[in-house]
Amino acid sequence: MLLIRLNPLRILNKASATILTRNIHITPAVATLTPRQTNRVKCTLIPGDGVGPELVYSVQEVFKAAGVPVDFEPYFFSEVNPTLSAPIDQVTSSITKNKVCLKGILATPDYSHTGELQTLNMKLRNELDLYANVVHVKSLPGVRSRHTGVDCVVIREQTEGEYSALEHESVKGVVECLKIITAAKSDRIAKFAFDYATKNKRKKVTVVHKANIMKLADGLFLKSCEETSKLYPKIEFEKVIVDNCTMQMVYKPQQFDVMVTPNLYGNIIDNLGAGLVGGAGVVAGASYSADCVVFEPGARHTFAEAVGKNVANPTAMILCSANLLIHANLASYGEMIKNSVSKVLLDGKVRTKDLGGQSNTQEFTYAIIHNLKPLSI
Amino acid sequence: MAVRIIRQLATTKQNTRHYSSELKKCTLIPGDGIGPEISAAVQKIFSVAKVPIEWESVDVTPVRGPDGKFGIPQKAIDSVNRNKIGLKGPLMTPVGKGHRSLNLALRKEFSLYANVRPCRSLEGYKTLYDNVDVVTIRENTEGEYSGIEHEIVDGVVQSIKLITEDASRRVAEFAFKYTKENNRKKLTVVHKANIMRMSDGLFLRCCRDTAEKFPDVKFEEKYLDTVCLTMVQDPSQFDVLVMPNLYGDILSDMCAGLVGGLGLTPSGNIGINGALFESVHGTAPDIAGQDKANPTALLLSSVMMLKYMGLNDYANRIQTACFDTIKEAKYLTGDLGGKAKCSEFTNEICNKL
Amino acid sequence: MAARIISNSCLHRKLHELGSGLSKLSRRTAATALPMSDFEIQHKQPLVKKTKSIPVALYGGRHAVTMLPGGGIGPELMLYVREIFKYAGAPVDFEVVDIDPKSDESNDLEYAITSIKRNGVAIKGNIETRSESTGVQSRNVAIRNELDLFVNVLHCHSYPGVPARQSDIDIIIIRQNTEGEYAMLEHESVEGVVESMKVVTKSNSERVARFAFEYAKKNNRKKVTTIHKANIMKLSDGLFLETSQNIAKEYPEIEHNEMIIDNCCMQLVSKPHQFDVMIMTNLYGTIVSNVVCGLVGGAGLLSGKNYGDHYAIFEPGTRNTGTSIAGKNIANPIAMISASIDMLDHLGHKEHSKVISDAVRKVMCEDKLHTSDLGGTATSTDIVQKIIDYILQTDTRTW
Repeated sequence: MLLIRLNPLRILNKASATILTRNIHITPAVATLTPRQTNRVKCTLIPGDGVGPELVYSVQEVFKAAGVPVDFEPYFFSEVNPTLSAPIDQVTSSITKNKVCLKGILATPDYSHTGELQTLNMKLRNELDLYANVVHVKSLPGVRSRHTGVDCVVIREQTEGEYSALEHESVKGVVECLKIITAAKSDRIAKFAFDYATKNKRKKVTVVHKANIMKLADGLFLKSCEETSKLYPKIEFEKVIVDNCTMQMVYKPQQFDVMVTPNLYGNIIDNLGAGLVGGAGVVAGASYSADCVVFEPGARHTFAEAVGKNVANPTAMILCSANLLIHANLASYGEMIKNSVSKVLLDGKVRTKDLGGQSNTQEFTYAIIHNLKPLSI
Repeated sequence: MAVRIIRQLATTKQNTRHYSSELKKCTLIPGDGIGPEISAAVQKIFSVAKVPIEWESVDVTPVRGPDGKFGIPQKAIDSVNRNKIGLKGPLMTPVGKGHRSLNLALRKEFSLYANVRPCRSLEGYKTLYDNVDVVTIRENTEGEYSGIEHEIVDGVVQSIKLITEDASRRVAEFAFKYTKENNRKKLTVVHKANIMRMSDGLFLRCCRDTAEKFPDVKFEEKYLDTVCLTMVQDPSQFDVLVMPNLYGDILSDMCAGLVGGLGLTPSGNIGINGALFESVHGTAPDIAGQDKANPTALLLSSVMMLKYMGLNDYANRIQTACFDTIKEAKYLTGDLGGKAKCSEFTNEICNKL
Repeated sequence: MAARIISNSCLHRKLHELGSGLSKLSRRTAATALPMSDFEIQHKQPLVKKTKSIPVALYGGRHAVTMLPGGGIGPELMLYVREIFKYAGAPVDFEVVDIDPKSDESNDLEYAITSIKRNGVAIKGNIETRSESTGVQSRNVAIRNELDLFVNVLHCHSYPGVPARQSDIDIIIIRQNTEGEYAMLEHESVEGVVESMKVVTKSNSERVARFAFEYAKKNNRKKVTTIHKANIMKLSDGLFLETSQNIAKEYPEIEHNEMIIDNCCMQLVSKPHQFDVMIMTNLYGTIVSNVVCGLVGGAGLLSGKNYGDHYAIFEPGTRNTGTSIAGKNIANPIAMISASIDMLDHLGHKEHSKVISDAVRKVMCEDKLHTSDLGGTATSTDIVQKIIDYILQTDTRTW
């Protein structure tokens, strides 16, 4: 308490780092009060297909060990196993209520049993209006890959564009697939990207397009981004054509910062980016609507061939869960888990096979639990 | 539109190749910017190697046609139609109304349905990836670049991706044939049929059907996103890739990025009425005329052309000379980190022949 | 528009008129019959579309809000607000924009205005305009005019336990915010003769009056008083008075009366309890709000809300920078915290706003922890600390 009187601003600044530091500084004051009641956060959980359930299990283990005050509401949700799957309205109402969801990857078969063109993933996105997919492609310390120092954010519109599921066979042997771009949704994603850049103190937003060929559709998207960029004079704005973008990505990915893309290009660049920094197992992502967030791995691969073998890399899933905690105002827990993950990766003693190690999922999870340390000042 | 494409397909004949040892004519479109220099370099190398080819150089600067629109001069079109084969330097698409992209016009004029781009790591030029040997084959006439777009209501634009059975089958067959003839091991079809179930589904089905006709070619199916992810991690997993238009556009440039950029990757367009080989890099007006340009891409394209014409001996000789020159790294141009001029680089290749 | 914030009555009818672009969201809202927050009403049912609408800065349940700390004690008070928000788990992300008070350049100011346009909502301290040059207009005024924040609402209420001249005061002061005497049209026509123009327009008077009545209706207020000086300024204040009288006819359930400004000030200090909701033009608003603030305990307690068609700004009620006490840890943080509570209310985070306001009330009324301006000895941080402690004891969801 004395310290606080001496230098209030500084102390408050420091205190803002974490709840835990608060306790260290202000113990006398807190001790006189009744202990804080546990405020638990509820979170919808969709394990998904493939190795999803295994990864989710390792997240739960880490949460348990860290004492994270989160309760999961698990739903089995799957397109490949429609009989066991929970109905979509149950899942969406749970997510709407909880506002946060942790989701594994849903497998999408090439054909639907009911002849539907929309996949379950798309239905969920449309139902919840999860329009913005954010994938943070960042080189992790200790993960060996060809490129180093990659740090870019791919923001992808995922409710329209090529993935609108509007297809028809006009004449036999001729299929038309509609790509829809609307001004409203383009404005929205452009604003999202710039606001994301503002919030996270990023310098540059790059729009990825193919407006030289698709003059109207991608032209509209490009125009929306251009207009939105005028509202953000402090953020650099840049345009790049998608094919050139992929070439630059593999050549010199460090030049990109925040990238905003329509649906399909985003999917390509997400996966490309994931490949650059160590594969599908290490890149976390999230899908935002206005009201809720679904945290899911950035590159969507079910890794079905590894089911039950205990070899999948849970890093992406654990990072997702840490991001979830930070979003839900449990930043101290989130940072604690993130620190532990980077420590384990940096030490390099325990690594899953995809990163060139010999350890299995369980060992890796235990290593993370072992390295959990409350943050000190 | 779709109907028109079908009709077009139905009326065209399969191309025939000419195999003979006599002097063959070949159209050369030097292009803009650095185009003339690198074309000259290729011509020089060809003459040293005594390739039995006679160049017919044409200019494709747009002229005003009888309908008032700017277009390719009829002379150039006639030349390619007559020779059935062409080599093209980089072209600049003039900005402004009334100009169609010349590349697009040529593609359309000669029904160039498949774009082939071999990407191979060059010894001597170090990039982050040193085991790349991938060929991308891209459907070039339809798909996302069908050019059918309209604004339905204010602020809502619809763009149509068109996939037809004929075109898909045609490119699939070409891909399998290419894989077999070039002694490649594996063909991968790149698609996104889990999302675009009908359109990419059709393309995928055509490839599967064609695969049955080529039992000795190993065939596999991969999602577009998986390919992107795996390609940048371990490109050696792939051999020949076949895919629809947009994916091909993106992936071929990405593969070029893996081996060091478009300055090193050749490209060939296979059509019904002939074939056009080109370098796909820019015109680089800033270094034009300074003898600094790197002719590798155009030279390798011409090598592809020779192979296509069945002149494999000449092709291999020139290719080896070119690779050796780069490997020795004595005469590298500026873009590869060397100091040599274009002419020195060319001379070195000539010496090697 | 702002008037509409107050009323949810025509909500369902309006929902049908919405464009297809928003139909998805609205359908969900209508289906679950969730009450819309003021923020949602403001952005989904704009009365006039003067500008191209900018998509709302709400992502995954978190709002982005512009924070203009301003000068003097502003920055430290903002720090307290952020601290409190963190412990209360308020889902708000601040975009802090600092404006350099010394420079004559308007770049910072323009950026701040752009930022508010993007986010739709701002919390602000008082921004200093140090420049003496007549060409530079007050930045506070510039922001209000640029964003067309035509109405300012000040809820003046006594805190029991806070020493003040009058107790149990509960007055809402609604003030026209963009025109009147603050039109900033001044010129020296002849040497030694300066003219200052006062502008009153019918449309703006109507907007304010309607806002006031809707506000009264929604908050179960009984009476609206129009403050004016129409006996002298027959045309300008006359128009304002006439407009409010016309609007009053549409609200027969609410009592309406009028009072002349000088009389009003006298009544306020002697019998303040006769007032309920008051509407007035710009300059009278400044006077009256400062008088009432004095009655309930000083400048450090009350918060003001500025509304326009698209934007809302929340700030401490009386607009003083408090430069003299900056950095001394004695400024009263309640006004700024109270502004932040208003903001949370506006954004629809009622749960969080209640937690904070309960904590504030406990500190002010039960613990009687006051800063020196209220005759107490506590420092700013003491009060903030106590508020945080109370927040932490409350059983809420963490975010």
